[in-house]
Amino acid sequence: MLGSVLTLVFVLVFNFFLFRVVQTDPIGSLFRGRNVPQETLDNLRVAFGLDQPLGTQFLLYLKESAQLNFGISYQTRQPVWDEIVAAIPATVALVGVSAILSAVIGTIGGIIAAWRRNTWKDHSITSGTMVFYSMPDFWLGMILLVLFAVVLGWFPVGGVSTAGSNETGLAVLIDQAYHMFLPALTLTLAYLGEYTLVTRSSLLDVMGEDYLTVARAKGLRDVAVRNRHAVPNALLPVVTLTAINFGFVLSGAIAVEAVFSWPGLGKLTADAIRGPDLPMLQALFLLFSAAVILFNLIADLTYSWLDPRVEGQ
Amino acid sequence: MTSLAMQRRRATAGRVWKQFRSSRSGMIGLGVLLLFVLMALAAPLLADARELNPVYARAQGNPQWAPPSEFGPLGTDYIRRSAWAQFVWGSRISLFVGLAATVLTILIGSVIGIIAGFVGGKPDAVLMRITEWFLVVPFLPLAIVLASVLGRNVWNIIFVIGITSWPSTARLIRAQVLTVKQRLFVDRARSLGASGRHIVGQHILPNVMGLILANATLAVPISILTETTLAFLGLGDPSAASWGKTLEEAFVNGAMVRNAWWYFVPAGLGILAVVLAFTLIGRTLEEIANPRLSRAR
Amino acid sequence: MSEPMLSVRDLEVTYHGHGGHVPAVRGVSFDLEKGDSLGLAGESGCGKSTLANALLRLLPAGTEVSGQIILDGKDVLNLTPGGLRAARWTSGAIIFQGALHALNPVQTVGEQIAEPMLVHQTAASDSAARERVVELLRRVGLPAARADSYPHQLSGGQRQRVLIAMALACDPLLLIADEPTTALDLMVQAQVLDLLHDLKEERDLTLMFITHDLSVLTYACRRLAVMYAGRIVEEGPAWDVFENASHPYTRALAAAFPTIGDEASRMAPSGLGGDPPTPDNLPQGCPFHPRCPLAHDACLPAEPDLRSSGLERSAACVLV
Repeated sequence: MLGSVLTLVFVLVFNFFLFRVVQTDPIGSLFRGRNVPQETLDNLRVAFGLDQPLGTQFLLYLKESAQLNFGISYQTRQPVWDEIVAAIPATVALVGVSAILSAVIGTIGGIIAAWRRNTWKDHSITSGTMVFYSMPDFWLGMILLVLFAVVLGWFPVGGVSTAGSNETGLAVLIDQAYHMFLPALTLTLAYLGEYTLVTRSSLLDVMGEDYLTVARAKGLRDVAVRNRHAVPNALLPVVTLTAINFGFVLSGAIAVEAVFSWPGLGKLTADAIRGPDLPMLQALFLLFSAAVILFNLIADLTYSWLDPRVEGQ
Repeated sequence: MTSLAMQRRRATAGRVWKQFRSSRSGMIGLGVLLLFVLMALAAPLLADARELNPVYARAQGNPQWAPPSEFGPLGTDYIRRSAWAQFVWGSRISLFVGLAATVLTILIGSVIGIIAGFVGGKPDAVLMRITEWFLVVPFLPLAIVLASVLGRNVWNIIFVIGITSWPSTARLIRAQVLTVKQRLFVDRARSLGASGRHIVGQHILPNVMGLILANATLAVPISILTETTLAFLGLGDPSAASWGKTLEEAFVNGAMVRNAWWYFVPAGLGILAVVLAFTLIGRTLEEIANPRLSRAR
Repeated sequence: MSEPMLSVRDLEVTYHGHGGHVPAVRGVSFDLEKGDSLGLAGESGCGKSTLANALLRLLPAGTEVSGQIILDGKDVLNLTPGGLRAARWTSGAIIFQGALHALNPVQTVGEQIAEPMLVHQTAASDSAARERVVELLRRVGLPAARADSYPHQLSGGQRQRVLIAMALACDPLLLIADEPTTALDLMVQAQVLDLLHDLKEERDLTLMFITHDLSVLTYACRRLAVMYAGRIVEEGPAWDVFENASHPYTRALAAAFPTIGDEASRMAPSGLGGDPPTPDNLPQGCPFHPRCPLAHDACLPAEPDLRSSGLERSAACVLV
């Protein structure tokens, strides 16, 4: 746990210094292209503490971060944190659903592939997932978009809801789910591969173990041997992987959200890059890192809880 | 190096090649890779570089968004340039950045891994803390942040990818060095009075080489995909035509709405093929370096 | 005379792996009467564990098995899958070797002992199974609390007792102990042997004891069979074979292990040079002749069959 806190601190330090190095004149950048009197700019600089030495600025940065004050977006002139908060639900919904689906489908695929090792089932599952894993996820999204939305017209071309509709309640949810289908499909297919490969190799390791022969000797059916003895042992690393991957939920769909114009953190990031909207990027980076650190911690705790061989922390 | 040592190295290389040849997937990967490398090298022969220039393209009188036709085997894009030319020339940057970034990754990762593993103690602890930090921080956002801050050119991109990818290599190499260190002959060499550098060079490196090579081959796909994603997001070098850049231009200029598949599908296919090729080669090399893996697979 | 508990005829087991065909068992035949005990001795790789696993058809998929195995009146090699599953653990149970690997690390010991009871429904409910587990643990000398322990929390000796308790869970008629005392220190070995002896007497078990340590078998078993390169090369009453081996291999094997309690044998051990042949690389003629101190020309042309070498004894050597 101490390690996690330390890591977070390093992230904050890194974040601060990296951007200070580049942002030679944040106030100037903020009002670029606008006709603002020099005095106002100078007053703002003082207000933001930019005339202070670097150390003081860093402490100010820490204090503001703790208060969730991450500055003003260069592009929208709105507080960065407000924009981020507005975008979180869309990303959590999309990537959360995709993460769960890919974990479940990928794991099942890996179990089948390992149990029926070297049969056509194994080969097709392994090759198929390898192919999806080897392509840029956003390119897959582009193809699905063109095929199913542009050419076939079965799904919308982007966004999270149909513009101009005044439906409420359940209809809204269904509309959103409808919009989420293609991007979720893209992400699920892209993430599957990792689960399939890890589960398969973990189960193969377990399949060589003697206690499986013992289970068979006791008179268990093949399926029972697999489900009661092999899979629980094989799943330990998969659970850890899942927990870690959930940490990447927030940052996992940057390019895909851009392709589908999905109004989440990814699209926010993609738009911020075009600026470059440095305060926004800085805050997003901090948020993404914090999420990963948190879920890595959860992953460690989950593993030690699940595996009786690991002494509790 | 003594002639005996050289003979041994050559014999090992021969054995490795023979084993590699027997792997069908490995050979397919190698074939595909060679195909694309040849294409990249022979780019001037395959497509006219002038076709990448929008002014020249306009002067040619090509229409915009032409499908594969008399205007080119892969049609044209939004400013009348040949998509085929972009595909052929794009392979150069994509492959180059992928390979160069991987070289950087492997260099940094190996040096750190070997030092941490061999020296041990405090330096090891410090290096491992740094490695863990890099591993925890989400890789793509870090790359984005660095790329935004450093500016858009090919060398920065190579640097950014290298700097964010080295941790897993370092961890792997360090573990292998620790295993090798435990083996008796290193102790014997020490007791014979061999210097640290000699031990690293003559004993540790040869035993770690195989792993480094396999890891490097498997790291190239990550570099290529990262370059593609960074280019797609607009962080690539504006003057360097890469497959990622093609995808970015396709997206930004509405190729999808127009269903101009001839423009963005080949670039992605190229990436897919090259990444798969390196993955297949890498997995085969891994199995040769660690025979237990092939039984486990 | 009633049917033997176990009757094996011309059993052959060939593995099919990456390396090709590996004949691990090459024609083994023997009978084991109800209540009797048979020891199976031999070095690593002679096929004894393969033989044990073959009796319950536990070999990896794709392994070629031919011959006949009649266990408890059932033709094992021709049982339906359902019949095979029903016979396992009830007609015959195995105490596997390598106790740490034979137990599932993420299940408690109690759960693993109870499992066959629930599968074969010899326990009416979970609580009835739990009671039986405690009973069995007590019988093998472990406290009831151990039922909730995980395998890694137990010592080697304790794990071995757990495997014995587990094997008895469904009151099997035939108990096959595969190297139950290997990797245990001597004190614990003696305890385990005594335990097995007592259990056999109490429950009138038929026992098959597999080991590479010949001297242990003289304690545990009435009869003894020695395996080499996939075949039985000597058979007979245990003490008799140990003291007066007919086959040169048995003689060497007996000499290699000092008898517990016999000072003289401790002072003069005699090892056997060389290694046993790998199944895919068997010598011409008698497979033992390259290492045999008495080898001569007659050993070469063909592999000798088992021939009578005394009362209830047989050995596969041309010198018999």
